[in-house]
Amino acid sequence: MRLSWIVSSNAICALLPISGFANATIEGRVELPPSHSAPVMAKRYEIVTHGGVLSTQPPLAVVYLEGSFSKPVTPSTKQIAQKNLAFVPPLLPIQAGTRIEFPNLDDTYHSIFSYSPAKRFDLGRYRPDERPIPSEVFDTPGLVTLHCDIHEHMRGLILVLNTPYFVVTNPDGRFRLSGLPSGHYVFKAWIDSTTTREKPVDLKNGETSHVDFP
Amino acid sequence: MIFSAKANGPEITSFRTKLAIAMMLVVSGVTAFGIYLGQGRVTANAERDLRQTFQAELSGLDKLQELRHATLAERCRLLAEKPRIHAALEDNALDLLYPSAKDELRDLMEGGDTWSEREAGSLHARFCRFLDGAGAVLSPPDPKDLGALSAKTEAQLAFKTLPDKQQIGYLTEDVDLADKTVDEVIAVPIFSSETGEVISALVVGFKPFEITSKRAGVEVKSGIWTAGQLHMPSLSKAAQIILGNKITNALSKADRVQNGFTVTVESVPQLLFYKRLNPDSLFPPAYEICVYSLADSISQQHRLRWQFGGVGALLLLGGFVASHFVALRFAKPVERLALDSEQNRAQRRRAEAALISTSEKLSRSTRYSADASHQLKSPLTVLRAGLEALLAHEDFKPEIYEELSTLLHQTHRLSGIIEDLLLLARLDAGYLQLHSEPVNLSQLVEEWLDDLDALPDSPDVEIQKEVPPDLYVAGAKRYISLIVQNLLENARKYNRKGGRIRVAAQAEGSEIRLAIGNTGQPIARDAQEHIFERFRRAATGAAVSGHGLGLNLARELVRLHKGDLKLVRSADDWTEFELRLRAAQPVVERAS
Repeated sequence: MRLSWIVSSNAICALLPISGFANATIEGRVELPPSHSAPVMAKRYEIVTHGGVLSTQPPLAVVYLEGSFSKPVTPSTKQIAQKNLAFVPPLLPIQAGTRIEFPNLDDTYHSIFSYSPAKRFDLGRYRPDERPIPSEVFDTPGLVTLHCDIHEHMRGLILVLNTPYFVVTNPDGRFRLSGLPSGHYVFKAWIDSTTTREKPVDLKNGETSHVDFP
Repeated sequence: MIFSAKANGPEITSFRTKLAIAMMLVVSGVTAFGIYLGQGRVTANAERDLRQTFQAELSGLDKLQELRHATLAERCRLLAEKPRIHAALEDNALDLLYPSAKDELRDLMEGGDTWSEREAGSLHARFCRFLDGAGAVLSPPDPKDLGALSAKTEAQLAFKTLPDKQQIGYLTEDVDLADKTVDEVIAVPIFSSETGEVISALVVGFKPFEITSKRAGVEVKSGIWTAGQLHMPSLSKAAQIILGNKITNALSKADRVQNGFTVTVESVPQLLFYKRLNPDSLFPPAYEICVYSLADSISQQHRLRWQFGGVGALLLLGGFVASHFVALRFAKPVERLALDSEQNRAQRRRAEAALISTSEKLSRSTRYSADASHQLKSPLTVLRAGLEALLAHEDFKPEIYEELSTLLHQTHRLSGIIEDLLLLARLDAGYLQLHSEPVNLSQLVEEWLDDLDALPDSPDVEIQKEVPPDLYVAGAKRYISLIVQNLLENARKYNRKGGRIRVAAQAEGSEIRLAIGNTGQPIARDAQEHIFERFRRAATGAAVSGHGLGLNLARELVRLHKGDLKLVRSADDWTEFELRLRAAQPVVERAS
């Protein structure tokens, strides 16, 4: 999570000279679906399927500002690790064009592939000491489901977005997204693989808008 | 006798033949029954054993088949669980479905390598296909790799709705116009790991498991019946069609899962078993058909029948021989009995004939004796009367009187002979009627001894008399008297001068014994046994008068009285006769 914050702040810094008015903030809360399993023992997040719907467990949402924003000149790089037979983080929103490295932090082989329409790739099987760390660039917006060929229960989600302005909510659904450009936009909340809510927002420089998704 | 024996011959032969035939019939019946029972039992046992063996084999094969199905299904299930396949199906990347399962499918197409898999029959898949969510076949990008199928066959793989359980089916595939093959198809549902619903199915076709080897020493052919057609490559096309129709009929009648019946295929009787291969399957019903030739069994039965027949024939032959001998043996006593009775009959006839002839002779002789006596009496009487008349004359010389007197004496003697002959003749003829009454023997002896003294030519003999008074015997006085007279006259006649006569009588139990002995020349030893015969006389010299009938007559009369007369002794100047007569009560004498 910390990593994504750093990455996003980098992106915002890069966009600053273009927009010139990137100082608006949105905060609010997304009403998250109830947790399906007891979260007491589950200290980590996982991608779960319920009725064919992929979501994190405990539930998390991704809020992002939709619009046509220019792609970053130098593509950023992020990481999704495979640790303890799980993808960490299980849900990662990225801006299209971002490269993601998939380090193997377990003592076993992992094999990452995706048949999702947004990105089909197959990194094959590799050991923890595989160098360079296998990575893929995600250019097409959409939801990418990660599979491990060896550990069939492993799932990871990458939400490839057209925008650099996005954030993952807290477990209670709260979020704060700052450094946004002013203007009329559509603000969206991705809740699970089939549910994305949206609200129009009118952002003004230096102001903080409050948006709640019921 | 010879004639009757000949007449009996055929009867005995017929008896023997009938006995032999009856025994042969019994032996044949028993043997036939035994053979019938034995053969029936052996045949039934053989058939039952065969069926049991075959059933055991079949159940063993069923196990193998189950193992094979389980192995195949497990392979398919493992394949269907592959994350890539799930990913391809769930992430709507159907174009990646076949490529991502390429390795696993290739394994399936190449078959397993382990021993158990090989043993379970071929695990080489002939084709593999995925079905989409609607049950339609997803055509592979390169059908060569996954088994080329005709459109028609491929259409058979489709389901209207995807099954949620493994399905086993048997589909016909046209290889060419004439030839058809059957594929064993296993359809394994693929469940979405996300929704748990059936999102696809993997359909894998295999070559069906065929039993063509010899099992349990008999030839077993296996095939598959589906959709009204039989596929049994080891049979000719025509035979397959005929047998297929028979099975179709049988299946339409009986709704049992496993059963069997006997059919004639290619003019060989076969035991046919059928078993539903895919119960509760969405695929069309298919039956495993196992045909087992009964030719061996039948030839074995034939052999058995011949053996039984041979044994039966031997038994029958033995039985016939035995029954023949038994019949002979049984007939022998009967034969002997018949022969004996025949001989007896002949002997009896002979005896009867002899008896009749003797009786006739006797009666003739008796009649002759009686006639002769009568005929003799009349001239004798005339002669005697003549002689007596001559003696009445007084003008003859004294020598002539003496001569006449001698002649007269001779006529008296002749008369006595004739009387005796007459009596004997009556005795012989049985005409003599005995009126038994108590007779005072003592008195009789006394009287005759007195007469003896009075006789003119009585020699000078001493008479000793030891007769107690009133000894009574049962009999006719006339004949008893004759007996005593004969004996006493003999004692006087055969005595010597200066000899003696001893007469002793005594009662001995129910008999009276009278002994009469006399001195004189004894009877020759050789002659002793003949003295009671007729016309026998003791050779004692011509001087003694007598005609040889006296003793005979006496004995005959004694026997008539149920008594006995015998010579007790005749040696050393002493001859003694013993007379035994039944004693009688003297009361009657007193009353009279």
